[in-house]
Amino acid sequence: MTDVVPKVDTVKLTIDGIEVEAPKGALVIRAAEQIGISIPRFCDHPLLAPAGACRQCLVDVEGQRKPVASCTQPVAEGMVVRTQMTSEVAKKAQEGIMEFLLINHPLDCPVCDKGGECPLQNQAMSNGQSESRFVEHKREYPKPLPISTQVLLDRERCVLCQRCTRFSDEIAGDKFIDLMERSSNEQIGVFRGNPESPEDDAPFNSYYSGNTIQICPVGALTSAQYRFRARPFDLVSTPNACEHCAAGCDQRADHRRGKVMRRLAGDDAAVNEEWNCDKGRFAFQYTQATDRLTKPLVRDRKTGELREASWPEALTVAAAGLAAAKDNGGVGVLTGGRLTVEDAFAYSKFARVALGTNDIDFRARPLSGEETEFLGSSVAGRVDVTYADIERAGAVVFVGLEPEEECPIIFLRARKTYLKRGLASYAVAPFVSRGFEKLGATVILTTPGAEAEVLGESEQLREALSADGAILFVGERLASVEGGLSTAARIAEETGAKLAWVPRRAGDRGAVEAGALPTLLPGGRPVYDPAARSEVAAAWQLDAGVLPSASGRDTDAIIAAAKAGQLGALLVGGVDPADLADPQAAEQALDAVGFVVSLELRLSVVAKRADVVLPIAPAVEKTGSYVNWEGRVRPFGTVLKTAAMSDARVLDALGRELGLELGVGDVAAARTQLAALAELPLPGTAEAGTALRGSVRVAVPTVAAGAAAAPTSGQAVLASWHHLLDNGSLQDGDGHLAGTARTPVARISKSTAADLGVADGDAVTVGTGRGAITLPALVTDMVDGVVWVPTNSPGSTLRRTLGVAEGALVEISTGGTKS
Amino acid sequence: MSIGGTLKGFGVTFSHMFKPVVTEEYPEQRKPPAPRYHGRHILNRWPDGLEKCIGCELCAWACPADAIFVEGADNTEDERFSPGERYAQTYQINYARCIFCGLCIEACPTRSLTMSNEYELARDNRRDLIFTKEMLLAPLLPGMERPPHDMRLGETEKDYYVGALENPGTSAGAEHYKGGQA
Amino acid sequence: MTLDYQPSQESLSKLTPVLTKRWLSPDAWKIDVYERLDGYTALRKAFKAHPDELIQLVKDSGLRGRGGAGFPTGMKWGFIPQNDGKPHYLVVNADEGEPGTCKDLPLMMADPHSLVEGVIIASYAIRANFAAIYIRGEAVHSARRLRAAVEQAYAKGYLGKNILGSGFDLDLVVHSGAGAYICGEETALLDSLEGYRGQPRLRPPFPATHGLYASPTVVNNVETIASVPYIVLGGSAWFRSMGTEKSPGPKIYSISGRVNNPGQFECGLGVTLRQLIDLAGGMQAGHELKFWTPGGSSTPMLTDEHLDVPMDFEGMAGVGTMLGTTAVQVFSNQDDIVYATYRWIAFYHHESCGKCTPCREGNYWMVRILHRILAGQGTVLDLDTLLDACDNLLGRSFCALGDGATSPVTSSIKYFKQDYLDYIEGRKTPMFKGELVGAH
Repeated sequence: MTDVVPKVDTVKLTIDGIEVEAPKGALVIRAAEQIGISIPRFCDHPLLAPAGACRQCLVDVEGQRKPVASCTQPVAEGMVVRTQMTSEVAKKAQEGIMEFLLINHPLDCPVCDKGGECPLQNQAMSNGQSESRFVEHKREYPKPLPISTQVLLDRERCVLCQRCTRFSDEIAGDKFIDLMERSSNEQIGVFRGNPESPEDDAPFNSYYSGNTIQICPVGALTSAQYRFRARPFDLVSTPNACEHCAAGCDQRADHRRGKVMRRLAGDDAAVNEEWNCDKGRFAFQYTQATDRLTKPLVRDRKTGELREASWPEALTVAAAGLAAAKDNGGVGVLTGGRLTVEDAFAYSKFARVALGTNDIDFRARPLSGEETEFLGSSVAGRVDVTYADIERAGAVVFVGLEPEEECPIIFLRARKTYLKRGLASYAVAPFVSRGFEKLGATVILTTPGAEAEVLGESEQLREALSADGAILFVGERLASVEGGLSTAARIAEETGAKLAWVPRRAGDRGAVEAGALPTLLPGGRPVYDPAARSEVAAAWQLDAGVLPSASGRDTDAIIAAAKAGQLGALLVGGVDPADLADPQAAEQALDAVGFVVSLELRLSVVAKRADVVLPIAPAVEKTGSYVNWEGRVRPFGTVLKTAAMSDARVLDALGRELGLELGVGDVAAARTQLAALAELPLPGTAEAGTALRGSVRVAVPTVAAGAAAAPTSGQAVLASWHHLLDNGSLQDGDGHLAGTARTPVARISKSTAADLGVADGDAVTVGTGRGAITLPALVTDMVDGVVWVPTNSPGSTLRRTLGVAEGALVEISTGGTKS
Repeated sequence: MSIGGTLKGFGVTFSHMFKPVVTEEYPEQRKPPAPRYHGRHILNRWPDGLEKCIGCELCAWACPADAIFVEGADNTEDERFSPGERYAQTYQINYARCIFCGLCIEACPTRSLTMSNEYELARDNRRDLIFTKEMLLAPLLPGMERPPHDMRLGETEKDYYVGALENPGTSAGAEHYKGGQA
Repeated sequence: MTLDYQPSQESLSKLTPVLTKRWLSPDAWKIDVYERLDGYTALRKAFKAHPDELIQLVKDSGLRGRGGAGFPTGMKWGFIPQNDGKPHYLVVNADEGEPGTCKDLPLMMADPHSLVEGVIIASYAIRANFAAIYIRGEAVHSARRLRAAVEQAYAKGYLGKNILGSGFDLDLVVHSGAGAYICGEETALLDSLEGYRGQPRLRPPFPATHGLYASPTVVNNVETIASVPYIVLGGSAWFRSMGTEKSPGPKIYSISGRVNNPGQFECGLGVTLRQLIDLAGGMQAGHELKFWTPGGSSTPMLTDEHLDVPMDFEGMAGVGTMLGTTAVQVFSNQDDIVYATYRWIAFYHHESCGKCTPCREGNYWMVRILHRILAGQGTVLDLDTLLDACDNLLGRSFCALGDGATSPVTSSIKYFKQDYLDYIEGRKTPMFKGELVGAH
């Protein structure tokens, strides 16, 4: 997998008397950066196409009559450039432009959020004159203008560099803001259906709109969430990894007095470049929720209610309960997908060593035995596809994955490549979503359940996947399609395409590697393989036979067993029953099982039913690492130093209470143990990790492709996925963010709508024996007999209300009242 | 020791009996300090009672002793504390830290923060030395109205700032305020 | 206007009616009249030649762009890459908006078919099968005539498929702009034509390779294209017999202002202002020439010292100005230079597209300073500020609009600083009621 570094043609030029060698076609402003000469700029951004609008970067080029904008001028052999450092012409030009920029700038730095980190402020000091000659009236606008619930626009401060509009157009593809008017009245605006009534405005509702705030070189775009809450100079910045999805964005958390004030996208060229999504940027206030747990809770024997307890008491009660259950039916471990890889490893080791069971599963969503095999055969220990591979791919195919909603950074990379060189995208999906539309994707409209069949038989897809460097992306939703993952693995093998499994949660991939699965030990080692067991036993210094050899039960089976009274206890991490295929069954299982230990951040549904609740730290209050979908480790440090403990530390203490030294309480120690068993190769290198060393790999599943359910009259096949912004509990507490979520609708085809007699906006009810969801209809070009509703959005809590997963048959009718 | 030496010594003592006394009879008599004496701070008001402080935190940034803590917030249509968009939701000066250098009042862009001549700042515990916004705000003079309320002196904040030249004495009398622990 | 005035024989001898020769013929805008007056004969002749021969012919004729910059037309056509597999486009810039300019609109009113014929020949030469005429939005009357002409040309088979059996196809669209001066800038025009906001594009790439819809495109002025049929008919030597060595051919000069008979006069390049005023019936009674623009307000103004400078590309460059669109605006001693400059800058401020800082903010600033000077509240320092603002604007803006905006200011202060000082020092009654200003 080593990359051959392509030979880059270079040219030699002189900047301020220093000879520079720069790649052919590079811009003068970048060449100057190479030698540490900073030319002031506003409109220039390395990831956006040159605009030449602000004219701040003027330099003197020998042989040119006029000063040249260095952000649009490519380097040429023998070019002699003089910047403001050595040329009076360039210096005067820059000072002149700065004076122009400031004449209509309100200079309200004291009340501006950008004050202190403002490129205009900084460059006015470094490259401007100290006094202005402007004595006339400045241009005035009412302010601030909310262009969405989370982005506020101050037009007086705007220098019209067009970074935001170019970002929206070139990167996100959501052209909701643009320049309006002209001359000194030129301004950024949103589409106004009717200037008199703000209801007709089309707000700037893009999943990436927060990036425009970050790249704005002045304080024109501000965040409603962060506005006036702090000044840059009293914030402490800590690098951080995003805990929301499997993209693995690098981020920066700015905090003050023990509270995170804002988060910004980090700069990681290999992963998120300089962007992130609005969920990553704005959704962090859940840690300050009022139901946040800070002290352990124990169910009082007398009252039967949860009461606060000391750590020693809670740990003793928990240990005693688990020890009793271990010999009396066993303990099931549900970890959830929000864990760091170190925490997942702690659960994995705790289950095997302390509880003597393989009944552990991280999956808190619809799943299948086929998926369990697939994770062992085609995911664990493998680093086959990276973001950079998307840029090199001949074609990409998405099955069971809507990239914009479920992994926004994959979407950005694919779109970048689509715009740059027309990357061909294909998707197997029920309709052409907005994300697929922006990728120019060829969508094979498919009824949920038939994905495997389509993928297996489509000549078009086979041809696309045979292209050089083609990538087959499969989402976690494909688990609920019979034969889906088997077919994907088979087709990838046959066509030579790369296969990438993209889960939705940040901790999912790490949990696979750490062995939080009923059939896998850390490093993808199958539990049934004696060699694998002995390798793990040796690493953990266990006697032979301590590690359980029988495959464990998956989430569904654990819940079924608990419900049937076969399990002695449940140890539950951050799992919300509403995410599971059947929330009702999960809650019944929690009620039925004799003893429940819950490691929780907030007083959740599980915590309320638990016998012992142990509070754990949210991502910002602990150190750890996520493994993103690529298999890239994304380590992060503690942002806020609090007394809260990570899951691993709590489990370590619990183990000690049970008389075991697990040695996972310390992140460094956990990492050392992980490195011995489950280290992944570095993406894009030929280095080998320690995963799967000396062990067999689980065989690829070979489940035959299933067929889609056949709806009869009044029925439809359910299609669904999560909106990026929805009811997720990690988005709690931010109304500004929720305001830009997409409106939940029920999508049906034209003929299905005609059968029901509904038009756009009419109420459509989707129901099962358990409940019903009523949403406005949106007639969409899609397969007949299918209805799509969002999985967990306001008014559409699919699994909780209907108790079914996608692919199921549901009753569909017109009207009805909201359940 | 000769008697002459003794007399010489007492002579010095006696001669002082006829010189003016420099001892100040504090607290029975309180001499006013110099007009520009750096005493405790005042957060001034506009003539209609709105606060001049815009919560910009420049005073906190200028403070070499890290004695000032400010947190800004949005003025809304219903709750307006200062002209313009921003006001100080929290404002604290810790007089256990303050060195009375006056850099904060130099940094203040709205002349909101000024220093009075009051010097009686001793307290018997450290917590009481943290003065909150309520303690630092100038008292409401006649004609002033307790915020939050609408802007009374103009349509926009500009009317306040441009008019400031004609309205210099917006917090006249504030320095005589003896509140503190109010 | 009653005209007792008789221009001198010398002035009259300068007239070379070529483009304007049909203007006085009744109904020359109708296709049958046009055909009777040698119309569409050049087209038939052109189709007999190879397109490359036509490009060479135009190169030989020395025809230079009539839109202001004077770029050699043949060379521009030659830049179009041939056999590149991309469609080629011809776009005619009829967005005549330069203050004082009035040559393209009357041409399209009086003789629209000469433009249509030129478009067909030029498209044939550059192998374009689609051409567009981007006409100024306000010029409804000219657009109507032009559309009628295009319709008639389609009906007669001069446009459409297989024109005159030559196997050459051409579609011609007349597109009305929305009234923005910046859309006269060729790349802004192309953006506007594509349906985007009219703002100039980054160059390179130039329109010759990445023009309309990112395909090779020639953008020419109306007068340039309308000259082509005559060159085809008369040959390059005949064309070179008019005008000067470096600026050959006839040119429509539009003269306005304090003359008795303002209008369009077609002369060979190199005519002088003295001759033009003579042709235009002399100065109005009681008026004495004070200042004039050679080619619209974007060209630095001249004074009565320059009456005998030949008005061609080189002659004008020699006295520090430009030929521009040959829109001669004549102002007299009864006109206020400061007010005229203020009005011009107000125009540039209004028409700046807003894309680049110097043009957007510089004009905003200058118009306010000029207003203040006219209100009697200027200072001597303001003149330095104006000149320095011009210095910071000239050559710093994204397109030539910003450069043009500095011309009236710098040239008027250069020649008539005293007029400014009269306002500043109170010798002249303020034109506006002043308002208090302060640094807000």
